[in-house]
Amino acid sequence: MTIHALFRAQAGRTPEAVALSGGGTTMSYRHLDEHSDLVAGRLAAAGAGPEKVVAICADRSPGLISTLLAVLKTGAAYLVLDPADPPARAEAVLADSGAALVLASGRHARRLPAGPAPVLRLDSLLTATGPATAFAALPDGDPAGLAYVAYTSGSTGEAKGVAVPHEAVLRLVTDPNWITVTPSDSLLSLAPIAFDASTFEIWGCLTAGARLVVQPAGPVTVDAVATTVRDNGVTVLWLTAGLFHRLADDRPDALAGVRHLLAGGDVVSAEHVRRVLGAYPGMLFTNGYGPTENTTFTTCWTSSRPPADDLVPIGRPITGTRVRVLDERQQEVPTGAVGELYAGGSGLARGYLGRPGSTAERFVPDPTGESPGARLYRTGDLVRRLPDGAYAFDGRADDQVKINGYRVEPRAVEARLRADETVRDAAVVARPAGADGRRLVAYVVPAGSTVDTFRLAENLRTHLPPYAVPASILPIPALPLTPNGKVDRAALPELDRAPRDLFTTYVAPRTALEAALADIWSAGLAVEPVGVDDDFFELGGHSLLAAELVRRVQRELSVTFPAEAIYLQPTVAELARVIEATKEDDRAVVATDRA
Amino acid sequence: MENEDDVIYRAVVNHEEQYSIWPADRDLPAGWNDTGHSGSRAECLEYIDTVWTDMRPLSLRRRMAEQGLG
Repeated sequence: MTIHALFRAQAGRTPEAVALSGGGTTMSYRHLDEHSDLVAGRLAAAGAGPEKVVAICADRSPGLISTLLAVLKTGAAYLVLDPADPPARAEAVLADSGAALVLASGRHARRLPAGPAPVLRLDSLLTATGPATAFAALPDGDPAGLAYVAYTSGSTGEAKGVAVPHEAVLRLVTDPNWITVTPSDSLLSLAPIAFDASTFEIWGCLTAGARLVVQPAGPVTVDAVATTVRDNGVTVLWLTAGLFHRLADDRPDALAGVRHLLAGGDVVSAEHVRRVLGAYPGMLFTNGYGPTENTTFTTCWTSSRPPADDLVPIGRPITGTRVRVLDERQQEVPTGAVGELYAGGSGLARGYLGRPGSTAERFVPDPTGESPGARLYRTGDLVRRLPDGAYAFDGRADDQVKINGYRVEPRAVEARLRADETVRDAAVVARPAGADGRRLVAYVVPAGSTVDTFRLAENLRTHLPPYAVPASILPIPALPLTPNGKVDRAALPELDRAPRDLFTTYVAPRTALEAALADIWSAGLAVEPVGVDDDFFELGGHSLLAAELVRRVQRELSVTFPAEAIYLQPTVAELARVIEATKEDDRAVVATDRA
Repeated sequence: MENEDDVIYRAVVNHEEQYSIWPADRDLPAGWNDTGHSGSRAECLEYIDTVWTDMRPLSLRRRMAEQGLG
């Protein structure tokens, strides 16, 4: 069996059921099957086929989901490039993957670097019409064949492509022991498609006859998610831990119709689980844990009752999954003892695309020999087995961190910073920030007398995905060291201002007035840095603070302007324009008086 | 862990011709064979980089060859 064979069988059982909805369109299972057959025919004619990689750069939309299905039907594997990634990263990933074909929607096609693979416009591919008979007859493909490639960060800086076969996805969606998706369910497609949580959302839905509600492209805010969930009657959804906490805090009303809520990607708070399950008796909650290398989920904790204590376990191995907790000599540790989690079974990825050495390092022989020749993936996650047989997460064996659910290797970011000639040394750590977890902070030791942190940040933004770019870069005379000469991360100074926590692009001040205003805002809001296009209220401002800031600006800069300007023009750039205009008016008034 | 660099490994291979590494002083788990190459972790991984040129599992390679898919 393959993913698309499972989908075809489902389409045969429920042809008229709604498969996809979003962006004002809906598609039945029959329509999706036929449409993806048609697109598959065109892709195959352009060179897609078994063991080939088709890269796709597009925003989340029903058309993108249909394209993924079409790629699978040709026998090829899909690789989704996150449109939020900088062109240099897209270029590196495309080159590493050896993609045979690139598909891009109009907006993104222009940003993609030229490479050896032909680039097809997704828009014209999707609107193509014609008979689709040739592809309906294609063989179902091989379960061991490559289905998709998902890139994750590597410790040395380069991204590694996790190569996932069809059978690994089948193990996730076929008769799972932790969830039941039925044709009366509506699942939300919310995770970035480049991120492996999308595997469960999309294929868990479309192989079960349920409806996939596609979250519109654009910033994922609590309100945007709440609106989609409520307006579309979503019954099953997956949220990163940070988004789950915020939704539970700010918009718990959105969950009224949800039957099964999944969260994960980071440590989930027991208090939030308790509150949500208390508000909605009968709702099922799953804490899902697992690295991309073992296909979305490795263990799941599913319950309609809140956890007994302040810890949400990561639960038990899901169907088709083997878990071992081993010490440094790869001996099993007893219940209650902390060890590294090794994951195996049919969910295992083939390895890292084109990287045999890295694959051999992380995918190791199962020391128990229970399944001869089997491999286990070394997760680097520390866990312990609880008395009831479930597992609890206990941190990392290395210094990998999660930012918004994404894996980030601080050492890879440090290497990037050190590559700059103005930087002698660098340390990157994750610091707690707000309800949603943590932000990266970089400490840089200048090679000369100064270092331009704005330029360093710009440089990182052109090479790294947005979540791997530190929210703050702070110059420091020297990195603190431990007695044996290693960087003492615990001794790095704390920030007294919180790192900027916005999804919009940071724009540095361009004039002396903008710089002065940004300084005052930064001090008043206790946030840094403040960009000139940042919204005062999104930075955490409120009416009391607004009044205080207006007073400080007027006093420190000796300017006058209407106090309501901060509500009507709530950015540094706009306020600077108001102040300049007021000065012009004053001069004009003075001139008139003299006349 | 501080002596990690001193550990001698063997490059090993299973029935699907998937490669990995295993400490040289320990018995091989069932289903794994010695390639005859041993050395530091880095040396074994470098060796694997040169010999594991087709990462498809052997059974898939055979099925694809039968179907004329390469």
